[in-house]
Amino acid sequence: MPTTIAVVEDDADQRDTYVDVLIANGYVVNAYADKPSAQSAFRTALPDLAILDIMLGQDMDGGFDLCMELRNQSQTVPVIFITARDSDIDRISSQRMMAWDYITKPVSLAFLVARVHALLSIATHLQSPVPNTTVLTTNELDIDENSMSIQWRGQRLNFTLTEFQIVESLARRPGHVKTYDALIDVTRQGLVEKNTINGYIRRIRSKFREIDTAFNRIQTVHGTGYKWAQD
Amino acid sequence: MGYKSVREMESFLLEGQRQALELTAEGIASLLSGRKDLFSGLAGVPEVVGLAYHPIPTELKESLPFEASGTQWAELLGPLADYTGSGSYECGIEFSPESFWVRHAVGISDEYFYALFDVVDDIVIYRDPDRLKLDHSDQVRLTLESPGRSPDRYLLLSRKKEGRMSMYSMEADWRTPITGDSLTIVAAEFKREKTGYTVRIRIPEDFIGKSTRLFFEVLDVDDKKSREIRTKISTSPLGSEHVGQVHLTSPKLAELIRPLHLRAANITIWDKEYRVRAQLGSIFPEGYKLAPTDTSDMALLDRVSTLTLDVMDWLLRIPATDDFDSVVALNRLDEPLLQHSIREGKTVSELRRHGGAKVIAAAQPIWAEDQIIGSVLIKQSGNRVVTIKHATLSRFVILFLGVFLFLAIAIGVFATRLTYRVTRLQRETEQATTIDGRLLQDYIRSGTRAGDELGNLTRSISSMLQNLGQYTRYLEKLPDTLAHEMNNPLNVVNSSLDYLEYQHKELVDDKYLNRARSGIFRLRTILTSLTEAANLKEALRNEQSDEERFNLVELVTGCVDGYQLSNPSRTFVNHFPTSPLFIHGTPDRIAQLLDKLIDNAVQFGREQSTIIVRINELPNIIQLSIINDGPSLPTELSERVFDPMVSSSTDARHSHLGLGLYIVREIAEFHGATVIAKNRADANGVEVTVSFTKNS
Repeated sequence: MPTTIAVVEDDADQRDTYVDVLIANGYVVNAYADKPSAQSAFRTALPDLAILDIMLGQDMDGGFDLCMELRNQSQTVPVIFITARDSDIDRISSQRMMAWDYITKPVSLAFLVARVHALLSIATHLQSPVPNTTVLTTNELDIDENSMSIQWRGQRLNFTLTEFQIVESLARRPGHVKTYDALIDVTRQGLVEKNTINGYIRRIRSKFREIDTAFNRIQTVHGTGYKWAQD
Repeated sequence: MGYKSVREMESFLLEGQRQALELTAEGIASLLSGRKDLFSGLAGVPEVVGLAYHPIPTELKESLPFEASGTQWAELLGPLADYTGSGSYECGIEFSPESFWVRHAVGISDEYFYALFDVVDDIVIYRDPDRLKLDHSDQVRLTLESPGRSPDRYLLLSRKKEGRMSMYSMEADWRTPITGDSLTIVAAEFKREKTGYTVRIRIPEDFIGKSTRLFFEVLDVDDKKSREIRTKISTSPLGSEHVGQVHLTSPKLAELIRPLHLRAANITIWDKEYRVRAQLGSIFPEGYKLAPTDTSDMALLDRVSTLTLDVMDWLLRIPATDDFDSVVALNRLDEPLLQHSIREGKTVSELRRHGGAKVIAAAQPIWAEDQIIGSVLIKQSGNRVVTIKHATLSRFVILFLGVFLFLAIAIGVFATRLTYRVTRLQRETEQATTIDGRLLQDYIRSGTRAGDELGNLTRSISSMLQNLGQYTRYLEKLPDTLAHEMNNPLNVVNSSLDYLEYQHKELVDDKYLNRARSGIFRLRTILTSLTEAANLKEALRNEQSDEERFNLVELVTGCVDGYQLSNPSRTFVNHFPTSPLFIHGTPDRIAQLLDKLIDNAVQFGREQSTIIVRINELPNIIQLSIINDGPSLPTELSERVFDPMVSSSTDARHSHLGLGLYIVREIAEFHGATVIAKNRADANGVEVTVSFTKNS
């Protein structure tokens, strides 16, 4: 059974490009230009993955509404937001709705396809878990690459794909400084400012601190980058 | 106006009092009309010779203590009558008041007749016991005249400074005594005083007898050798030869008018020879004292309040009580009034002013069978009205002063408050914007609830600032909105290029495709820096909770190492203190600030040049300076270089929006620091200094 991807984007040019590249990668793609048409389609059949723009025409938060609706029907459907809105509030909102990723425009198509692949494989893995797939375990940190899940002292953390990748790359080599350039490569998002990386680190730290207020493993190396402190 | 109405009220009251006095005088006159018997010459006892219009002897309730001093007598007998100047007789033209001057007072009690003489005499000559004749020393002569008899003459002499005087019955020539024996029935005491002497005489009433007339003479001898009588002053207006005008008390008359007592009024009944026949009451108010109050033993507070009252009295010209003395002394003013009344038979009254004191006098003739037999004279102090007037005026003045004071204070408070509010508005308005016109605060905090014009103005300015703030925020948001709107078409171009490359593998290294990508890259750089700058303020606010205390030296050292790696074409030189310097803030943002400053220093510095990074510790501030080697800042830019979209860059390919230094300023100000840019002294580059306050 082919994998179905729903694309909701009000801009026809962008929508068509996404559709074209996804079809070329062997996916079945259903594209919708607005909220109502997408809503009625989701009620009939759920897609395997949804790519949503937040602003849909005049509807400022149409994408968020759709995400909520999908979550109501399924807790596991991967949702990727692709949006021109780059603010903390929107990122946090997307997190609350358990969106799997938040990509800001302009987006590289190759990056988008890679993301779709990764998320689908994680989704598949979650539906039929394979035991003992943890690839990295320290005393307190467990990282399962297949399910893209991170546990700190036994408690699961809810990271987006990018955040997961940053934590994973830092924790892989404890004590080793990851430079800004290296971290920018990890995000695979083309042009990224140092400050964007700082923003990611800030959000990651605050997520750790939600379950462990004394968390200070991710250390800043001023002017260079970050490192995962050794135990 | 208040003063005027009080004045009018006063004159109205005085007029009323005058008419009342006239009526009283008329009443007394009608009571006495037809009673010729009361005015007959022999009705009274005893008669005292004196000047016309002069007060009759003081009636004493008790006997005078004979041992008492002359001063005490003077107090008890009342004001002394003057016998100097116009009242002197037989003085001669060489008379001089400094040499000889007599004042006297007489009084009658039930048993005795008293006389007091206060004599000013430059040379006092005592009796020479060797001489037989008695007219060679200073002396007092007394003449008694009983009806139907020749006058009895008595001489009073003193041999020494102080003591009992000798008294002799004398012949008509006043030179030889009838008998050589001194009389003892009359007690007379002589006492030498500084300026002359006093004589106190007490005569038993029996000695004088009924209906007897008497007068005194005082004689002055100044030459010790010749012992000639120089001056003679007589209580009789006609001199010693005639027993002249008479003061006559008529007990019946006095008895008759006694019930007519008026408060603070003096009623006198005069016969047609201008002799006082009876008198009643005193013009002095009750409780009035002649002697001034001694203030020396008063409490300080009382003295202060007395002083205050005195100042008030002086301001309002309240009559001093002492003025009553002058009223008494000026009894001569009654003369025209009595003459009018007795000669012309008219009712007359007048209001007199003596200094501040006011006296109302009314005279009414007494008729008996178409003949005027005398006159009633009533004098009453108008000072009660005057006092009321002054009390009213005082209240007015105090009220006015109070109201003025209140108004002055109210106006003062109001003006102060107004000034304070205007100043506060000015201060807040000034604080709302920086010198370079940036809006720091989009409202006026205080004074916006006031309902007056100033409140309206404050609200107007506040709402103006609000509008300005909204517009500023709109402008600040504009780049973000613009970036957001541009990201969608940029995404179309970008993804289309991606797809083109994906579909046509042969185009992967196509020159034009790469140029298109490089164009997109530049566009994205612009958009990224736009959104970064636009979201900075909000981002900084959100990061306030992340603030920590960190070592600035360590952070800058780390950063500079990184810059050296990424900019091998520049030499970085550090001037850092060895000890750590802690500041409070967000390290990431300080690193961002440093990034921007270094970017700028690199971009505007010469190739292969040196960039100096220096940290200076001053007593209260920490200075972080970046000094590069390159062209100077254009002078017109030096102040605006930290504003957004201001750049001195002329390189077309290097997109330079001038947002870097804007971000520096925002971060610096967020950390309570200031930032300035200036050209190096040698004009070979620019020095940017960020000054952090210590312990912030």
